[in-house]
Amino acid sequence: MKTLKEDAQSVGNILIEVGALLMSSGANSNRIRVTLERMARGLGYGTELLITHRALMLTIVEKDHQHFFSRLKRTSPHGVNFSIVSGISHLSWNVLEQKWTVAQISEEIQRLKAIPHYPRLVVLALVGMAGAAFCNIFGGGYIEMSVAFVATVAGLFVRQEAMRVKFNPYLCVFFAAFTASFIAGLAELFQIGAQPDKAFATSVLFLVPGVPLINSVTDLLEGNIQNGMVRAISGLMIAFSIAIGLFSVRMILNF
Amino acid sequence: MLFDIIIKSFWSGIAAIGFAILFNVPRRTLLAIFTLGALGGLIKFTAMKLDVGIVFSSFLGATVIGFIAIQMAHMRKSPPLVFSIPSVIPMVPGFFAYKMMLGLIALTNMENTDTYIQTLIETVNSGAKMMFVLISLGTGVAIPMLLTRKESIKKSQYNKKKKAVT
Repeated sequence: MKTLKEDAQSVGNILIEVGALLMSSGANSNRIRVTLERMARGLGYGTELLITHRALMLTIVEKDHQHFFSRLKRTSPHGVNFSIVSGISHLSWNVLEQKWTVAQISEEIQRLKAIPHYPRLVVLALVGMAGAAFCNIFGGGYIEMSVAFVATVAGLFVRQEAMRVKFNPYLCVFFAAFTASFIAGLAELFQIGAQPDKAFATSVLFLVPGVPLINSVTDLLEGNIQNGMVRAISGLMIAFSIAIGLFSVRMILNF
Repeated sequence: MLFDIIIKSFWSGIAAIGFAILFNVPRRTLLAIFTLGALGGLIKFTAMKLDVGIVFSSFLGATVIGFIAIQMAHMRKSPPLVFSIPSVIPMVPGFFAYKMMLGLIALTNMENTDTYIQTLIETVNSGAKMMFVLISLGTGVAIPMLLTRKESIKKSQYNKKKKAVT
């Protein structure tokens, strides 16, 4: 009987770490399943998976079916990071085609985790531009676009700070929506620009839960009904937090 | 009119870049995401000018993005979702979501029957548009993968050379 190079326990541990990382970086359920199965095949194991939004369960089976290893792991809170999704996609092919070892995989995962985010000022400026862009798309002029830019930058800054001190994620969205729409609402109160309501409505669009909602539809289409529903609800919760932020401002400014 | 569409498409691309940065995409994919976002916007706004309706227009835009995202995935060596998700986000119907929520809250304290029905109609209309646009975006992005019936783009017909390796 051929003995495997890697023992089941270390393979299982590394695979479930990859899966949890993918889930929290914004990959859909099918991608997680396919990636883990590919990596396990490369390492000479069979896999069975249970994927949920906040926990993963993995069983890997040796080809002779004598040994298996099971583990349950809770995924960390979700923060979209496509550099990690992209990097793990490369990694999984390297495991299959170039027979990477567990040590190499874990080294690569450490490298991927350490990839820095874009500088904060760049993020603030470009997301602000995105806010202005939304305002243009919905028919705002340049004055409204500037208002949307300022509101978006302020809102994103507040969200980053709230995340840093670890507020509840929905509360972070609420704070951000409140700040952004308050600034845009002041512009509406003082009648800056021809259609200040456009700036008000688009100032919070940088918060739209695009990744949960689109992944939700993809999951539902691919038959991962439970995960699709969970993602849809979590997207709706974010949308609801945005709405509450908007209405608080409308009540305060009274229009 | 055409100029207006092109300007809006340009800003769609900018919005896509903003979200791409927020999602921390690899740097090599940024230009492709801008192009895809602008192209999706161009298709959507052109279709809307031709009275296609917002739901089907968004679907067309998202489908084209989905197909090109697969090509880009080969060229820039990243999974298709890295390109497709930031590119379709400018089409997410945030304004309708806002109007629906606004309507729902307005309905909670309204007594006059006529204005109530008027608000109800508008709210349901915005809500339905929002929901169907979202579904069409998700489906449009997924369609290329559904049509090729492969689990990974690396195995799809676009990449037969590499298939020989496995």
